[in-house]
Amino acid sequence: MTRPADRLRIPADLERLAEVRQLVRDVAGAAGATRDVVDDLVQAVDEAATNTITHGYAGAPGWVDVTVAIEGPTLVITLEDDAPAFDPTGLPDPDMTVPALVRGPGGMGIRLMRIATDELAYRPRATGGNILTMTRSIAPRPEENP
Amino acid sequence: MALQTTVEQVEGSVPVTILALDGELDGASYERVIDAVRGIYEAGGRHLLMDLTNLQFISSSGLVAMHSSMRMMRGEAPPDPEEGWGALHAIGAEVAEGAVQANLRLCGTQDAVQKVLDRTGLGPLIPTYPDRATAIAAF
Repeated sequence: MTRPADRLRIPADLERLAEVRQLVRDVAGAAGATRDVVDDLVQAVDEAATNTITHGYAGAPGWVDVTVAIEGPTLVITLEDDAPAFDPTGLPDPDMTVPALVRGPGGMGIRLMRIATDELAYRPRATGGNILTMTRSIAPRPEENP
Repeated sequence: MALQTTVEQVEGSVPVTILALDGELDGASYERVIDAVRGIYEAGGRHLLMDLTNLQFISSSGLVAMHSSMRMMRGEAPPDPEEGWGALHAIGAEVAEGAVQANLRLCGTQDAVQKVLDRTGLGPLIPTYPDRATAIAAF
């Protein structure tokens, strides 16, 4: 069974990130996700939206659409924007064992997104822009508290 | 929730400045933390305790603020956010060797925040205590 999705559009303004986090907190919480799962998804959506606003729009006006859907046992978060095309899933994971100066905070953002989700998928938007889909099972992972 | 910052001065075996962060530390607010720590250092503060008891969220932007705070409390310029994390390893090695006193400490980290610190390798680099009293006594 697929319940109706919840959706929010924010302008490309870091001050509005809190609204995106709250949307995910509300929908994931209502879906019965544990605190660990909710925290992870809030992290992932914040990192993704921050990247879009900071690097995608880079100060230019724009918008970010966030949709949170419950699809069976899975939460699916979709971020859509019309910023220049950029695939964050193509970024290498920072090598945590190497003291490399190339390991920038942006790399930490993608690392946190990967750890926090089960799947990250990117596709360009047909009319320009980006669509990033983050998927996570509602059930906690084996190492997490139920 | 917007981030609230509160600065307090206490006397332990050394003077300790407490910077309490309440709310969420994200891309909108991390520069305020850097500014607050810069102000503390410039005012002569040399022992900083960040009280994270009421910090519910930290993003990678917040980690940049933590990293910058470590640097500034060592008397160094905060790094360019694009420069990267290379300096973290050097700081961590020195702390482990006892070569320098850790001038920045944390207390009261909630699970969600500690998880992020640990997942990015920053957690072990900053001494962390359960509460203010324990942290102040450890300076």
